[in-house]
Amino acid sequence: MRNLPDREGNAPPVSATGRWWGWRLAALAWVLVVGAVGWHQVGFWRAAKLNTDAMALLPQDEQFAASRLATQRMVQSASGMVVVLAGAPDWDMARRAANAARAALAKHADVLKVESPASVADSRAAIDSIAPWRDRLLTPQQRVWLAETPQERMVERALARLHQPGPGSSVSGWASDSLGLSEQWWIERASQTRARPRDGELWLRSGQIDWIVITARSRGQVFSLDGEPRLALALDAARGAATQAIAGSRVVATGLPLHAEAAAVQASREVNTIGWGSLAAILVLVWLAFRSFSPIFMVTLTLVVGTATAITVTDLVFGEVHLLTLVFGASLVGVAEDYGIHYFSSRQADPGIAPMSLLRRLLPGLCLALLTSVIAYLALGLAPLPGLRQMAVFSAVGLTAAFLTGVCWFPWLDRSAIAPTRFSGWLGASLALWPRLKRSRSTFVLAMGGLLVVVPGLSMLEMRDDIRQMQNSPAPLVKAQLEINRLLGLPSVAQFFVVTGQSEQQVLEREESLKSRLDAWVGSARIGGYQAVSDWVPSAARQTADAQLVKKAESAVVREINHRLGESLPVPLHAPGPLVLSEWMGMPGSAVARSLWLGDSAGGMASMVTLRGLADPALLPGLKALADEAQGVHWVDKADEASALLERYRRGMGVLLVMGHALVLGALWLRYRRQAWRAWVPTALASLLTVGVMGWTGQPLQLFNVLALTLLLGIGADYGIFLLEHPGDGSAWLAVQLGAASTWLAFGLLALSTTPALRAFGLTLMIGIALVWVLAPLMRPEPGTKGDAA
Amino acid sequence: MRRRTLLAWTAAGTAASAVSGAGPGVATGPALIEAVRARLADAPVLRGEFEQRKSVRGFRNPLVSRGDFMVARGRGVIWRTREPFASSLALTRDRLVARSSDGTVSRTIDAREEPAARVLTELMFALMAADLAGMSGRFRVEGELLGDLGWRLELTPADEVIRRTVLRVRMEGERHLRMLQIHETQGDSSEIRFTRVRAEQVPSPDEDAQLAR
Repeated sequence: MRNLPDREGNAPPVSATGRWWGWRLAALAWVLVVGAVGWHQVGFWRAAKLNTDAMALLPQDEQFAASRLATQRMVQSASGMVVVLAGAPDWDMARRAANAARAALAKHADVLKVESPASVADSRAAIDSIAPWRDRLLTPQQRVWLAETPQERMVERALARLHQPGPGSSVSGWASDSLGLSEQWWIERASQTRARPRDGELWLRSGQIDWIVITARSRGQVFSLDGEPRLALALDAARGAATQAIAGSRVVATGLPLHAEAAAVQASREVNTIGWGSLAAILVLVWLAFRSFSPIFMVTLTLVVGTATAITVTDLVFGEVHLLTLVFGASLVGVAEDYGIHYFSSRQADPGIAPMSLLRRLLPGLCLALLTSVIAYLALGLAPLPGLRQMAVFSAVGLTAAFLTGVCWFPWLDRSAIAPTRFSGWLGASLALWPRLKRSRSTFVLAMGGLLVVVPGLSMLEMRDDIRQMQNSPAPLVKAQLEINRLLGLPSVAQFFVVTGQSEQQVLEREESLKSRLDAWVGSARIGGYQAVSDWVPSAARQTADAQLVKKAESAVVREINHRLGESLPVPLHAPGPLVLSEWMGMPGSAVARSLWLGDSAGGMASMVTLRGLADPALLPGLKALADEAQGVHWVDKADEASALLERYRRGMGVLLVMGHALVLGALWLRYRRQAWRAWVPTALASLLTVGVMGWTGQPLQLFNVLALTLLLGIGADYGIFLLEHPGDGSAWLAVQLGAASTWLAFGLLALSTTPALRAFGLTLMIGIALVWVLAPLMRPEPGTKGDAA
Repeated sequence: MRRRTLLAWTAAGTAASAVSGAGPGVATGPALIEAVRARLADAPVLRGEFEQRKSVRGFRNPLVSRGDFMVARGRGVIWRTREPFASSLALTRDRLVARSSDGTVSRTIDAREEPAARVLTELMFALMAADLAGMSGRFRVEGELLGDLGWRLELTPADEVIRRTVLRVRMEGERHLRMLQIHETQGDSSEIRFTRVRAEQVPSPDEDAQLAR
């Protein structure tokens, strides 16, 4: 930019004024950028595209496309869905309770829209539409029965059914289903959920309670930043109304939106605690140190610009901002302030110097500090957790923007010198009192103490990658979810089979062979049952075989009945060809299982087979083995998969962490040569000690701790750099102290988070930063010896 | 007489639902059911003979069967067909088990395992055991009391699910249910007549075992 010709066509002089010119341009450019960010911010907050999806910190499956599709499907069909159960001791009371609850929910229709239950007419339509293929749809027991029963017994049974008292099967008349096969088939299909239509409601009875199932959809983005739990409030109102209508009635609710809302409410509280808490602490520290408004104003400015830019860029890159990113990002306040504070500490120490010259002097160190931090933050994004990627981008951008604000604007904004204050003087001077490590007895004792923490600590350290420990939904929500799952007999969403094949038929055939193995599991009550598309649409081969079985039996039975009773009934008529998947997909009753069909996937076809009543985790390996034996069948265990992924990335990031340390040491060596260790060792030691402390205190090591240690490398190295840049300089020490204090506080507040991943981050960094804070000055260079800077 | 009973229902505090607009002597609702229940003998076990005539769509002739039955109050029904061939049916609120002559099970519906079947077993149980309390929630009940002892009820399903199976039920009797007519939605109908009904205290051990399963 400096080399652009000016208006007169003369080349600009490469001089101090030229640099000023460049700096001015940079400042102006930055004004434009910040203006654009501001403009984006107005729109952003008006629409508040905040993602509250609770799954964002769960790892994404990266291995198997069909399984990823299946998971998406599961989440899709569940997202937005809220299931409410109203229960009372008898049907009449349950209806009154449900109506009261519905009326209360209707007042909250802006957040939760109640859906009308499936009507009996719908189920009649389902039965009628599939009726022509009745001869091709058999339960496994019926297939065996038809194949093995002598004709005489079939006739006997048909006669008995004819003479049975009371109403016969409701499915079809005797003449069209003389063997009475469709009743049992439909009973099996219907057993996929326990709820039944009754009086225009969905009803189920369990224990001594009649329950009515109310389904509702949450209306889009219900969460707003005020942290009000709108869904929970609507459901509380429903609960209150039901109890008022029928004393002792119960209303339980579950659904992804409720979990998301709980997480969002919690997160918004944490954003406020962490963000405002650390901001307040920083301002107090800045005020104590500088007793002037302009540093407060300028430090706040860097933080505001940093945060706003981070939000804007995150939104532009990802199309949304996750609330957890804001929680994590709130701790950035405690890191991004370092640059401003560093500037003002030096300014205070050297009041006569021009801001520009001061900045130029500080710039190399600041750049290096920024670089290490940004690298560390970006390293977080290597893990395949979508939430973490956002946090990485958010933090890296926020830091850079805060840095640029300081570098571009401070020289223009900074107009008054800052007088030394007693607090800053005392803090800065405390460096002289801080011991330096020498070859001495106390060093030896200290080293031994350190070893005692690290060595046994490491041996006691437990690695745990179980994704289940990341569960942080409120206990009542989890309890309600379990109860509703049990009542409705819903299939497990975290464990299922994915079946793949070259063609539709091959997938259906493979499903059938899997199901025949699963039947043994159902028979021995290890699982409650399964759900598959082939329950509804068997493979063509199976349909043809079944139709032959039925035809043989039906004609014999009708012939014999005609003979014995003197009738002339015709053999029932059936559809001429097999039921095909595409046809079934268009039928009214197919909605229940349609989502199981995944369709095209990686050059073939895929479907899901889900399991009900899978309660015992000890059975999971057996189910996996079942899949391993069969061709084209894959067992998906989301929890296991996620845990395995966490483990893999914990190891991977562990290696990266070590490499990162080597890299940072290398970068430091380029500038400080033989003094470089002074900036690196404190962080390395602090990391080891932190892990040791975790071992001693029984905290398991997981991916998020390793990631936090990566961050510690980035932040911790800064302190060493500042102390190396300005040996014996009280102002650098002041900056380090203020910076470390606010960073420590920000992560301390993050450690209070209820999100386990963030808590692990916060705790690790809280310990680590405190240790670097203590260790860095111990290893500072001797005053007066300038680091071997180039 | 009729007026007196009506007054009695009024006294029971259910006047509003007891007197329908359908004319004198025709009543609906819980009060009528109460009155009929008061007329029915209240025995733990009832035994008797039955004759069933069933008209099934597609069949020229009605299907006639005869046999005996046992109703254990609140527990279940055992239905033993002797003619035209032997078979039996044990029915509780949860379960229906049909057996052929040699005792092998030919049809089972277990509502505990298959909740879809509960509507069916409960309905059958209510009808066969004349469990009026169990019916009142699911049916619109009309009918009248006849003379000092008799009664006649006509039930139409209030519940859509039952309407899918049953169109209309008629019952007549005095101290015991004498006649049961079921008109099914699919077009079939059956009429069952009960004779030689007598009260007893306990089911036989064999019956007891069948209902307990």
